[in-house]
Amino acid sequence: MITAQNITKRFGNVQALTELSFVVNPGEFVFLTGPSGSGKTTLIKLVMKEIVTDKGELLISGQDIKKITNKKLPEYRRQIGVVFQDFKLLQDRSVFENVSLPLEVRNIKLLDIQAAVKKALELVGLTARASLFPAQLSGGELQRVAIARAIVGRPKLLLADEPTGNLDPKTSQSIMKILKQIHEELQTTIVMATHNVDIVNHSGLRVITLVDGKLVKDNPKGKYE
Amino acid sequence: MSSHFSTAISRIRRSPYQTLAAISIMTMTLFLASVFFLVAAGSQAILRYFETRPQVNAFFKQEIVPTDNQVELLRAQLESTNMVDSVRFVSKEDALQIYKDLNKSDPLLLEAVTANMLPASIEVSAKNPNDLKKIAEFLKQQTGIDDVRFAEEVVSSLAVWTKSVRIVGIALVGAHVLITFSIILLIIGIKVANRRDEISILQLVGATRGYIQAPFVIEGILYGVGGGILAWGIAYLVLAYSMPFLVTFLAGIPILPPPILFMFKVLLGEILLGAIIGGFGGLLAVRRFLKS
Repeated sequence: MITAQNITKRFGNVQALTELSFVVNPGEFVFLTGPSGSGKTTLIKLVMKEIVTDKGELLISGQDIKKITNKKLPEYRRQIGVVFQDFKLLQDRSVFENVSLPLEVRNIKLLDIQAAVKKALELVGLTARASLFPAQLSGGELQRVAIARAIVGRPKLLLADEPTGNLDPKTSQSIMKILKQIHEELQTTIVMATHNVDIVNHSGLRVITLVDGKLVKDNPKGKYE
Repeated sequence: MSSHFSTAISRIRRSPYQTLAAISIMTMTLFLASVFFLVAAGSQAILRYFETRPQVNAFFKQEIVPTDNQVELLRAQLESTNMVDSVRFVSKEDALQIYKDLNKSDPLLLEAVTANMLPASIEVSAKNPNDLKKIAEFLKQQTGIDDVRFAEEVVSSLAVWTKSVRIVGIALVGAHVLITFSIILLIIGIKVANRRDEISILQLVGATRGYIQAPFVIEGILYGVGGGILAWGIAYLVLAYSMPFLVTFLAGIPILPPPILFMFKVLLGEILLGAIIGGFGGLLAVRRFLKS
Protein backbone atom coordinates (compact mmCIF):
# COMPACT_ATOMS: atom_id res chain seq x y z
CA MET A 1 0.00 0.00 0.00
CA ILE A 2 2.77 2.42 1.01
CA THR A 3 6.37 1.99 -0.14
CA ALA A 4 8.88 4.59 1.00
CA GLN A 5 12.38 4.36 -0.45
CA ASN A 6 15.02 6.63 1.05
CA ILE A 7 12.64 9.58 1.31
CA THR A 8 14.17 12.83 2.51
CA LYS A 9 12.49 16.12 3.32
CA ARG A 10 14.01 19.41 4.48
CA PHE A 11 12.28 22.62 5.57
CA GLY A 12 14.98 25.26 5.18
CA ASN A 13 17.70 24.25 7.63
CA VAL A 14 15.52 21.69 9.38
CA GLN A 15 15.95 18.08 8.32
CA ALA A 16 12.41 16.69 8.75
CA LEU A 17 12.98 13.22 7.28
CA THR A 18 16.24 11.48 6.41
CA GLU A 19 16.40 8.56 3.98
CA LEU A 20 13.32 6.89 5.37
CA SER A 21 12.47 3.45 3.95
CA PHE A 22 9.60 1.14 4.92
CA VAL A 23 6.67 -0.76 3.44
CA VAL A 24 3.07 -0.87 4.69
CA ASN A 25 1.15 -3.78 3.21
CA PRO A 26 -2.53 -3.58 2.21
CA GLY A 27 -4.81 -4.28 5.16
CA GLU A 28 -2.17 -3.51 7.80
CA PHE A 29 -2.71 -1.36 10.91
CA VAL A 30 0.53 0.46 11.69
CA PHE A 31 1.39 2.88 14.47
CA LEU A 32 3.79 5.70 13.77
CA THR A 33 5.39 6.84 17.00
CA GLY A 34 8.16 9.14 18.10
CA PRO A 35 8.63 12.41 19.99
CA SER A 36 7.26 15.71 18.71
CA GLY A 37 9.24 16.89 15.70
CA SER A 38 10.30 13.37 14.75
CA GLY A 39 8.62 13.62 11.34
CA LYS A 40 5.29 11.78 11.80
CA THR A 41 3.09 14.59 10.52
CA THR A 42 5.56 15.34 7.71
CA LEU A 43 5.23 11.74 6.57
CA ILE A 44 1.41 11.97 6.60
CA LYS A 45 1.56 15.24 4.65
CA LEU A 46 3.85 13.58 2.10
CA VAL A 47 1.37 10.72 1.63
CA MET A 48 -1.45 13.26 1.18
CA LYS A 49 0.79 15.14 -1.25
CA GLU A 50 0.37 18.35 0.69
CA ILE A 51 4.15 18.54 0.33
CA VAL A 52 6.61 16.61 -1.85
CA THR A 53 9.81 14.75 -1.04
CA ASP A 54 13.20 16.29 -1.80
CA LYS A 55 14.73 12.91 -2.49
CA GLY A 56 13.62 9.28 -2.65
CA GLU A 57 10.48 7.60 -3.89
CA LEU A 58 7.10 7.34 -2.23
CA LEU A 59 4.72 4.86 -3.85
CA ILE A 60 1.07 4.56 -2.88
CA SER A 61 -0.62 1.47 -4.35
CA GLY A 62 2.38 1.26 -6.68
CA GLN A 63 1.94 4.82 -7.92
CA ASP A 64 4.80 7.31 -7.54
CA ILE A 65 2.99 10.23 -6.00
CA LYS A 66 5.53 12.72 -7.34
CA LYS A 67 4.12 11.96 -10.77
CA ILE A 68 0.54 12.80 -9.78
CA THR A 69 -0.36 16.05 -11.53
CA ASN A 70 -2.37 18.80 -9.83
CA LYS A 71 -5.30 17.85 -12.04
CA LYS A 72 -5.19 14.22 -10.85
CA LEU A 73 -4.55 15.15 -7.20
CA PRO A 74 -8.25 15.31 -6.12
CA GLU A 75 -8.87 11.85 -7.58
CA TYR A 76 -5.81 10.52 -5.71
CA ARG A 77 -6.89 12.07 -2.40
CA ARG A 78 -10.35 10.50 -2.69
CA GLN A 79 -8.66 7.12 -2.15
CA ILE A 80 -7.31 8.25 1.22
CA GLY A 81 -9.19 9.11 4.39
CA VAL A 82 -7.55 11.40 6.90
CA VAL A 83 -8.24 12.19 10.56
CA PHE A 84 -6.58 15.03 12.46
CA GLN A 85 -5.90 15.77 16.12
CA ASP A 86 -7.93 18.99 15.87
CA PHE A 87 -10.78 17.26 13.95
CA LYS A 88 -10.92 19.90 11.17
CA LEU A 89 -14.70 19.94 10.96
CA LEU A 90 -16.73 22.73 9.36
CA GLN A 91 -18.47 24.58 12.16
CA ASP A 92 -21.33 25.90 10.04
CA ARG A 93 -22.30 22.45 8.79
CA SER A 94 -24.20 19.73 10.63
CA VAL A 95 -22.71 16.33 11.45
CA PHE A 96 -24.48 14.88 8.41
CA GLU A 97 -23.16 17.63 6.13
CA ASN A 98 -19.60 17.26 7.46
CA VAL A 99 -19.62 13.52 6.90
CA SER A 100 -21.14 13.85 3.43
CA LEU A 101 -18.42 16.30 2.27
CA PRO A 102 -16.09 13.73 0.58
CA LEU A 103 -19.07 12.36 -1.38
CA GLU A 104 -20.48 15.79 -2.23
CA VAL A 105 -17.23 16.80 -3.92
CA ARG A 106 -17.51 13.72 -6.13
CA ASN A 107 -20.97 14.77 -7.36
CA ILE A 108 -22.58 11.59 -6.05
CA LYS A 109 -26.39 11.41 -6.05
CA LEU A 110 -28.08 12.63 -2.87
CA LEU A 111 -29.80 9.30 -2.19
CA ASP A 112 -26.48 7.44 -2.39
CA ILE A 113 -24.86 10.06 -0.15
CA GLN A 114 -27.63 9.67 2.43
CA ALA A 115 -27.20 5.88 2.48
CA ALA A 116 -23.38 6.06 2.79
CA VAL A 117 -23.46 8.73 5.51
CA LYS A 118 -26.03 6.72 7.46
CA LYS A 119 -23.74 3.65 7.38
CA ALA A 120 -20.67 5.68 8.39
CA LEU A 121 -22.53 7.30 11.30
CA GLU A 122 -23.81 3.90 12.41
CA LEU A 123 -20.24 2.60 12.42
CA VAL A 124 -19.06 5.39 14.71
CA GLY A 125 -22.27 5.35 16.80
CA LEU A 126 -23.46 8.86 15.98
CA THR A 127 -26.72 8.22 14.12
CA ALA A 128 -28.67 10.18 16.73
CA ARG A 129 -26.35 13.20 16.37
CA ALA A 130 -26.69 13.61 12.58
CA SER A 131 -28.54 16.92 12.70
CA LEU A 132 -26.37 18.55 15.39
CA PHE A 133 -23.56 21.04 14.71
CA PRO A 134 -19.92 20.58 15.87
CA ALA A 135 -20.34 23.19 18.62
CA GLN A 136 -22.99 20.93 20.20
CA LEU A 137 -20.73 17.86 20.44
CA SER A 138 -18.09 16.59 22.89
CA GLY A 139 -14.44 16.07 21.91
CA GLY A 140 -14.90 12.33 21.49
CA GLU A 141 -17.99 12.83 19.35
CA LEU A 142 -16.16 15.37 17.20
CA GLN A 143 -13.40 12.88 16.53
CA ARG A 144 -15.97 10.22 15.67
CA VAL A 145 -17.53 12.62 13.15
CA ALA A 146 -14.06 13.15 11.67
CA ILE A 147 -13.56 9.37 11.44
CA ALA A 148 -16.97 8.95 9.79
CA ARG A 149 -16.00 11.63 7.25
CA ALA A 150 -12.70 9.86 6.60
CA ILE A 151 -14.31 6.48 5.91
CA VAL A 152 -17.57 7.48 4.20
CA GLY A 153 -15.95 7.24 0.76
CA ARG A 154 -14.55 3.76 1.61
CA PRO A 155 -10.89 4.72 1.17
CA LYS A 156 -8.21 2.05 0.78
CA LEU A 157 -5.97 3.93 3.18
CA LEU A 158 -6.81 5.78 6.39
CA LEU A 159 -4.26 8.18 7.88
CA ALA A 160 -4.82 9.31 11.46
CA ASP A 161 -2.59 12.08 12.77
CA GLU A 162 -2.73 11.82 16.57
CA PRO A 163 -6.51 11.29 16.61
CA THR A 164 -6.53 10.82 20.40
CA GLY A 165 -4.18 13.73 21.13
CA ASN A 166 -6.94 15.99 22.49
CA LEU A 167 -8.98 13.30 24.23
CA ASP A 168 -9.12 11.76 27.71
CA PRO A 169 -7.93 8.11 28.13
CA LYS A 170 -11.44 6.61 28.16
CA THR A 171 -12.54 8.47 25.02
CA SER A 172 -9.20 7.63 23.39
CA GLN A 173 -9.91 3.95 23.98
CA SER A 174 -13.35 4.27 22.37
CA ILE A 175 -11.80 5.99 19.32
CA MET A 176 -9.22 3.21 19.11
CA LYS A 177 -12.01 0.63 19.27
CA ILE A 178 -13.76 2.30 16.33
CA LEU A 179 -10.55 2.41 14.28
CA LYS A 180 -9.94 -1.31 14.94
CA GLN A 181 -13.53 -2.05 13.95
CA ILE A 182 -13.05 -0.13 10.68
CA HIS A 183 -9.82 -2.02 10.07
CA GLU A 184 -11.51 -5.38 10.58
CA GLU A 185 -14.86 -4.71 8.91
CA LEU A 186 -13.71 -2.66 5.93
CA GLN A 187 -10.17 -4.10 5.59
CA THR A 188 -8.88 -0.54 5.44
CA THR A 189 -5.12 -0.02 5.73
CA ILE A 190 -4.56 2.31 8.69
CA VAL A 191 -1.49 4.36 9.55
CA MET A 192 -1.91 6.12 12.88
CA ALA A 193 0.55 8.62 14.31
CA THR A 194 0.27 8.73 18.09
CA HIS A 195 1.90 9.61 21.39
CA ASN A 196 -0.53 7.47 23.35
CA VAL A 197 1.60 4.88 25.16
CA ASP A 198 -1.36 2.83 26.48
CA ILE A 199 -2.98 2.48 23.11
CA VAL A 200 0.23 1.40 21.40
CA ASN A 201 1.30 -0.98 24.14
CA HIS A 202 -2.09 -2.73 24.36
CA SER A 203 -2.63 -3.09 20.63
CA GLY A 204 -0.08 -5.73 19.73
CA LEU A 205 0.24 -4.09 16.31
CA ARG A 206 3.20 -3.03 14.18
CA VAL A 207 5.01 0.09 15.42
CA ILE A 208 7.33 2.27 13.34
CA THR A 209 9.36 4.60 15.55
CA LEU A 210 10.85 7.81 14.21
CA VAL A 211 13.41 10.00 15.94
CA ASP A 212 14.74 13.20 14.35
CA GLY A 213 13.31 12.17 10.99
CA LYS A 214 15.05 8.78 10.98
CA LEU A 215 13.46 5.36 11.30
CA VAL A 216 14.93 3.90 14.48
CA LYS A 217 12.70 0.86 14.96
CA ASP A 218 10.13 -1.09 12.94
CA ASN A 219 8.64 -3.78 15.20
CA PRO A 220 5.80 -6.10 13.99
CA LYS A 221 4.39 -6.33 17.53
CA GLY A 222 5.87 -3.26 18.99
CA LYS A 223 5.82 -1.20 22.13
CA TYR A 224 6.03 2.54 22.61
CA GLU A 225 9.68 3.40 23.28
CA MET B 1 -24.47 23.32 -9.69
CA SER B 2 -27.53 23.90 -7.53
CA SER B 3 -25.50 23.12 -4.39
CA HIS B 4 -22.87 25.71 -5.46
CA PHE B 5 -25.68 28.21 -6.04
CA SER B 6 -27.22 27.63 -2.60
CA THR B 7 -23.74 27.80 -1.01
CA ALA B 8 -23.16 31.17 -2.71
CA ILE B 9 -26.58 32.45 -1.60
CA SER B 10 -25.98 31.42 2.01
CA ARG B 11 -22.53 33.11 2.00
CA ILE B 12 -24.11 36.31 0.65
CA ARG B 13 -26.79 36.21 3.34
CA ARG B 14 -24.23 35.67 6.08
CA SER B 15 -22.26 38.83 5.22
CA PRO B 16 -24.86 41.53 4.54
CA TYR B 17 -22.46 44.49 4.82
CA GLN B 18 -19.95 43.07 2.36
CA THR B 19 -22.85 42.25 0.06
CA LEU B 20 -24.16 45.82 0.37
CA ALA B 21 -20.71 47.22 -0.45
CA ALA B 22 -20.27 44.91 -3.44
CA ILE B 23 -23.71 45.57 -4.92
CA SER B 24 -23.46 49.34 -4.29
CA ILE B 25 -20.17 49.75 -6.14
CA MET B 26 -21.41 47.47 -8.92
CA THR B 27 -24.65 49.49 -9.21
CA MET B 28 -22.75 52.79 -9.32
CA THR B 29 -20.44 51.63 -12.09
CA LEU B 30 -23.18 50.04 -14.15
CA PHE B 31 -25.40 53.11 -13.69
CA LEU B 32 -22.58 55.29 -14.99
CA ALA B 33 -22.14 52.85 -17.87
CA SER B 34 -25.86 53.04 -18.68
CA VAL B 35 -25.90 56.84 -18.58
CA PHE B 36 -22.98 57.09 -20.98
CA PHE B 37 -24.37 54.35 -23.17
CA LEU B 38 -27.80 56.02 -23.36
CA VAL B 39 -26.26 59.44 -24.08
CA ALA B 40 -24.01 57.92 -26.77
CA ALA B 41 -26.90 55.93 -28.27
CA GLY B 42 -29.12 59.06 -28.16
CA SER B 43 -26.45 61.18 -29.87
CA GLN B 44 -26.04 58.48 -32.48
CA ALA B 45 -29.80 58.43 -33.10
CA ILE B 46 -29.86 62.24 -33.44
CA LEU B 47 -26.92 62.04 -35.81
CA ARG B 48 -28.73 59.46 -37.93
CA TYR B 49 -31.86 61.63 -37.89
CA PHE B 50 -29.95 64.59 -39.31
CA GLU B 51 -28.04 62.47 -41.78
CA THR B 52 -31.31 61.21 -43.25
CA ARG B 53 -32.66 64.75 -43.58
CA PRO B 54 -30.78 66.49 -46.39
CA GLN B 55 -32.11 69.92 -45.57
CA VAL B 56 -30.93 73.52 -45.91
CA ASN B 57 -32.67 76.33 -44.04
CA ALA B 58 -32.22 79.83 -45.46
CA PHE B 59 -33.46 82.64 -43.24
CA PHE B 60 -34.52 85.99 -44.73
CA LYS B 61 -33.44 89.16 -43.05
CA GLN B 62 -35.81 89.84 -40.17
CA GLU B 63 -37.16 93.08 -41.64
CA ILE B 64 -37.98 91.49 -44.98
CA VAL B 65 -41.41 90.08 -45.73
CA PRO B 66 -40.86 88.14 -48.98
CA THR B 67 -43.53 88.45 -51.62
CA ASP B 68 -45.00 85.44 -53.42
CA ASN B 69 -43.14 86.46 -56.57
CA GLN B 70 -39.80 86.56 -54.76
CA VAL B 71 -40.42 83.15 -53.25
CA GLU B 72 -41.55 81.64 -56.56
CA LEU B 73 -38.52 83.08 -58.36
CA LEU B 74 -36.18 81.57 -55.79
CA ARG B 75 -38.03 78.25 -55.96
CA ALA B 76 -37.69 78.20 -59.77
CA GLN B 77 -33.99 79.02 -59.57
CA LEU B 78 -33.41 76.26 -57.05
CA GLU B 79 -35.38 73.69 -59.01
CA SER B 80 -33.47 74.52 -62.14
CA THR B 81 -30.26 73.30 -60.46
CA ASN B 82 -31.66 69.71 -60.48
CA MET B 83 -30.19 69.19 -57.01
CA VAL B 84 -33.37 69.99 -55.15
CA ASP B 85 -36.02 67.56 -54.05
CA SER B 86 -38.47 69.99 -52.47
CA VAL B 87 -38.70 73.64 -51.47
CA ARG B 88 -40.98 74.88 -48.67
CA PHE B 89 -41.57 78.51 -47.77
CA VAL B 90 -41.99 79.27 -44.04
CA SER B 91 -43.59 82.67 -43.57
CA LYS B 92 -43.22 84.78 -40.42
CA GLU B 93 -46.67 83.50 -39.31
CA ASP B 94 -45.63 79.89 -39.94
CA ALA B 95 -42.46 80.52 -37.94
CA LEU B 96 -44.56 81.88 -35.07
CA GLN B 97 -46.77 78.79 -35.18
CA ILE B 98 -43.71 76.52 -35.06
CA TYR B 99 -42.36 78.58 -32.16
CA LYS B 100 -45.72 78.27 -30.35
CA ASP B 101 -45.78 74.50 -30.84
CA LEU B 102 -42.28 74.14 -29.44
CA ASN B 103 -42.95 76.34 -26.41
CA LYS B 104 -46.58 75.58 -25.69
CA SER B 105 -45.71 74.67 -22.10
CA ASP B 106 -44.23 78.10 -21.37
CA PRO B 107 -46.81 80.93 -21.69
CA LEU B 108 -44.24 83.57 -20.77
CA LEU B 109 -42.15 82.77 -23.82
CA LEU B 110 -45.26 82.80 -26.02
CA GLU B 111 -46.39 86.23 -24.87
CA ALA B 112 -43.03 87.85 -25.52
CA VAL B 113 -42.74 86.88 -29.20
CA THR B 114 -44.67 88.15 -32.23
CA ALA B 115 -44.52 87.10 -35.88
CA ASN B 116 -42.54 90.23 -36.78
CA MET B 117 -39.69 89.24 -34.52
CA LEU B 118 -39.17 85.96 -36.38
CA PRO B 119 -37.54 85.65 -39.82
CA ALA B 120 -39.26 84.02 -42.76
CA SER B 121 -37.29 81.16 -44.25
CA ILE B 122 -37.24 78.54 -46.94
CA GLU B 123 -36.49 74.86 -46.29
CA VAL B 124 -34.79 73.06 -49.12
CA SER B 125 -34.43 69.28 -49.25
CA ALA B 126 -31.64 68.00 -51.46
CA LYS B 127 -31.87 64.88 -53.58
CA ASN B 128 -28.37 64.02 -52.52
CA PRO B 129 -26.89 65.04 -49.11
CA ASN B 130 -23.57 65.78 -50.88
CA ASP B 131 -25.22 68.71 -52.69
CA LEU B 132 -26.22 70.44 -49.44
CA LYS B 133 -23.11 72.61 -49.46
CA LYS B 134 -23.64 73.78 -53.04
CA ILE B 135 -27.29 74.63 -52.35
CA ALA B 136 -26.26 76.50 -49.20
CA GLU B 137 -23.64 78.50 -51.15
CA PHE B 138 -26.24 79.35 -53.80
CA LEU B 139 -28.74 80.55 -51.20
CA LYS B 140 -26.12 82.66 -49.38
CA GLN B 141 -25.60 84.69 -52.57
CA GLN B 142 -29.31 85.57 -52.90
CA THR B 143 -30.43 89.04 -51.89
CA GLY B 144 -32.46 89.30 -48.72
CA ILE B 145 -30.99 86.12 -47.22
CA ASP B 146 -29.46 86.68 -43.81
CA ASP B 147 -28.30 83.24 -42.68
CA VAL B 148 -28.09 79.77 -44.16
CA ARG B 149 -27.95 76.65 -42.02
CA PHE B 150 -27.73 73.15 -43.31
CA ALA B 151 -27.53 69.70 -41.78
CA GLU B 152 -23.84 69.27 -42.54
CA GLU B 153 -22.91 71.71 -39.79
CA VAL B 154 -25.23 69.99 -37.32
CA VAL B 155 -24.05 66.57 -38.44
CA SER B 156 -20.37 67.43 -38.11
CA SER B 157 -20.77 69.02 -34.68
CA LEU B 158 -22.95 66.12 -33.56
CA ALA B 159 -20.34 63.67 -34.84
CA VAL B 160 -17.69 65.44 -32.75
CA TRP B 161 -20.02 65.43 -29.72
CA THR B 162 -20.85 61.72 -30.15
CA LYS B 163 -17.18 60.85 -30.47
CA SER B 164 -16.35 62.87 -27.35
CA VAL B 165 -19.16 61.20 -25.37
CA ARG B 166 -17.81 57.82 -26.43
CA ILE B 167 -14.22 58.62 -25.48
CA VAL B 168 -15.12 60.19 -22.12
CA GLY B 169 -17.62 57.39 -21.45
CA ILE B 170 -15.19 54.60 -22.24
CA ALA B 171 -12.44 56.21 -20.14
CA LEU B 172 -14.69 56.93 -17.14
CA VAL B 173 -16.59 53.64 -17.25
CA GLY B 174 -13.33 51.77 -17.85
CA ALA B 175 -11.78 53.35 -14.75
CA HIS B 176 -14.87 52.51 -12.70
CA VAL B 177 -14.90 48.94 -14.00
CA LEU B 178 -11.30 48.58 -12.80
CA ILE B 179 -12.15 50.04 -9.38
CA THR B 180 -15.21 47.80 -9.07
CA PHE B 181 -13.19 44.78 -10.14
CA SER B 182 -10.59 45.55 -7.45
CA ILE B 183 -13.27 45.98 -4.77
CA ILE B 184 -14.99 42.71 -5.73
CA LEU B 185 -11.56 41.05 -5.69
CA LEU B 186 -10.99 42.46 -2.20
CA ILE B 187 -14.42 41.51 -0.82
CA ILE B 188 -14.36 37.96 -2.18
CA GLY B 189 -10.66 37.76 -1.24
CA ILE B 190 -11.64 38.46 2.40
CA LYS B 191 -14.30 35.76 2.20
CA VAL B 192 -11.81 33.31 0.71
CA ALA B 193 -9.33 34.08 3.50
CA ASN B 194 -12.09 33.61 6.11
CA ARG B 195 -12.77 30.21 4.61
CA ARG B 196 -9.13 29.18 4.50
CA ASP B 197 -9.74 26.14 6.74
CA GLU B 198 -12.78 25.05 4.80
CA ILE B 199 -10.87 25.25 1.54
CA SER B 200 -7.98 23.20 2.90
CA ILE B 201 -10.43 20.56 4.20
CA LEU B 202 -12.15 20.46 0.81
CA GLN B 203 -8.76 19.98 -0.87
CA LEU B 204 -7.93 17.12 1.51
CA VAL B 205 -11.20 15.30 0.84
CA GLY B 206 -10.56 15.47 -2.90
CA ALA B 207 -12.47 18.55 -4.11
CA THR B 208 -11.39 19.77 -7.52
CA ARG B 209 -10.34 23.40 -8.09
CA GLY B 210 -13.58 23.93 -10.00
CA TYR B 211 -15.64 22.67 -7.06
CA ILE B 212 -13.88 25.05 -4.67
CA GLN B 213 -13.99 28.00 -7.06
CA ALA B 214 -17.61 27.67 -8.20
CA PRO B 215 -19.43 29.20 -5.17
CA PHE B 216 -17.07 32.21 -5.14
CA VAL B 217 -17.52 32.77 -8.87
CA ILE B 218 -21.32 32.44 -8.53
CA GLU B 219 -21.21 34.89 -5.61
CA GLY B 220 -19.41 37.43 -7.82
CA ILE B 221 -21.85 36.84 -10.67
CA LEU B 222 -24.79 37.40 -8.30
CA TYR B 223 -23.30 40.73 -7.17
CA GLY B 224 -23.01 41.69 -10.84
CA VAL B 225 -26.55 40.60 -11.73
CA GLY B 226 -27.97 42.42 -8.68
CA GLY B 227 -25.98 45.56 -9.48
CA GLY B 228 -26.96 45.38 -13.16
CA ILE B 229 -30.70 45.15 -12.45
CA LEU B 230 -30.53 47.97 -9.88
CA ALA B 231 -28.47 50.23 -12.17
CA TRP B 232 -30.85 49.63 -15.06
CA GLY B 233 -33.87 50.37 -12.86
CA ILE B 234 -32.33 53.65 -11.64
CA ALA B 235 -31.30 54.65 -15.19
CA TYR B 236 -34.82 53.90 -16.47
CA LEU B 237 -36.39 55.96 -13.67
CA VAL B 238 -34.03 58.90 -14.32
CA LEU B 239 -34.80 58.69 -18.05
CA ALA B 240 -38.55 58.52 -17.44
CA TYR B 241 -38.35 61.47 -15.03
CA SER B 242 -36.33 63.59 -17.51
CA MET B 243 -38.44 62.60 -20.52
CA PRO B 244 -40.65 65.78 -20.67
CA PHE B 245 -37.54 68.01 -20.46
CA LEU B 246 -35.63 65.94 -23.03
CA VAL B 247 -38.54 65.90 -25.49
CA THR B 248 -38.66 69.72 -25.34
CA PHE B 249 -34.89 69.95 -25.56
CA LEU B 250 -34.75 67.72 -28.62
CA ALA B 251 -37.37 69.91 -30.32
CA GLY B 252 -39.22 67.28 -32.24
CA ILE B 253 -36.37 64.89 -33.00
CA PRO B 254 -38.23 61.60 -32.56
CA ILE B 255 -35.88 59.43 -30.47
CA LEU B 256 -37.90 59.36 -27.25
CA PRO B 257 -39.30 57.33 -25.62
CA PRO B 258 -36.69 54.64 -26.35
CA PRO B 259 -38.11 51.36 -27.71
CA ILE B 260 -38.83 48.71 -25.06
CA LEU B 261 -36.66 46.18 -26.92
CA PHE B 262 -33.74 48.62 -26.84
CA MET B 263 -34.09 49.12 -23.08
CA PHE B 264 -34.35 45.34 -22.63
CA LYS B 265 -31.08 44.94 -24.54
CA VAL B 266 -29.50 47.60 -22.28
CA LEU B 267 -30.66 45.56 -19.26
CA LEU B 268 -29.14 42.38 -20.69
CA GLY B 269 -25.91 44.24 -21.47
CA GLU B 270 -25.66 45.57 -17.92
CA ILE B 271 -26.36 42.18 -16.38
CA LEU B 272 -23.73 40.63 -18.66
CA LEU B 273 -21.12 43.29 -17.88
CA GLY B 274 -21.84 43.00 -14.13
CA ALA B 275 -21.68 39.20 -14.25
CA ILE B 276 -18.35 39.31 -16.09
CA ILE B 277 -16.82 41.80 -13.62
CA GLY B 278 -18.17 39.91 -10.58
CA GLY B 279 -17.50 36.41 -11.85
CA PHE B 280 -13.98 37.21 -13.00
CA GLY B 281 -13.26 39.06 -9.71
CA GLY B 282 -14.47 36.02 -7.72
CA LEU B 283 -12.46 33.62 -9.85
CA LEU B 284 -9.26 35.64 -9.53
CA ALA B 285 -9.69 36.02 -5.73
CA VAL B 286 -10.02 32.28 -5.14
CA ARG B 287 -7.34 31.33 -7.69
CA ARG B 288 -4.84 33.64 -6.01
CA PHE B 289 -5.53 31.83 -2.75
CA LEU B 290 -5.35 28.34 -4.27
CA LYS B 291 -2.04 29.18 -5.93
CA SER B 292 -0.54 30.36 -2.66
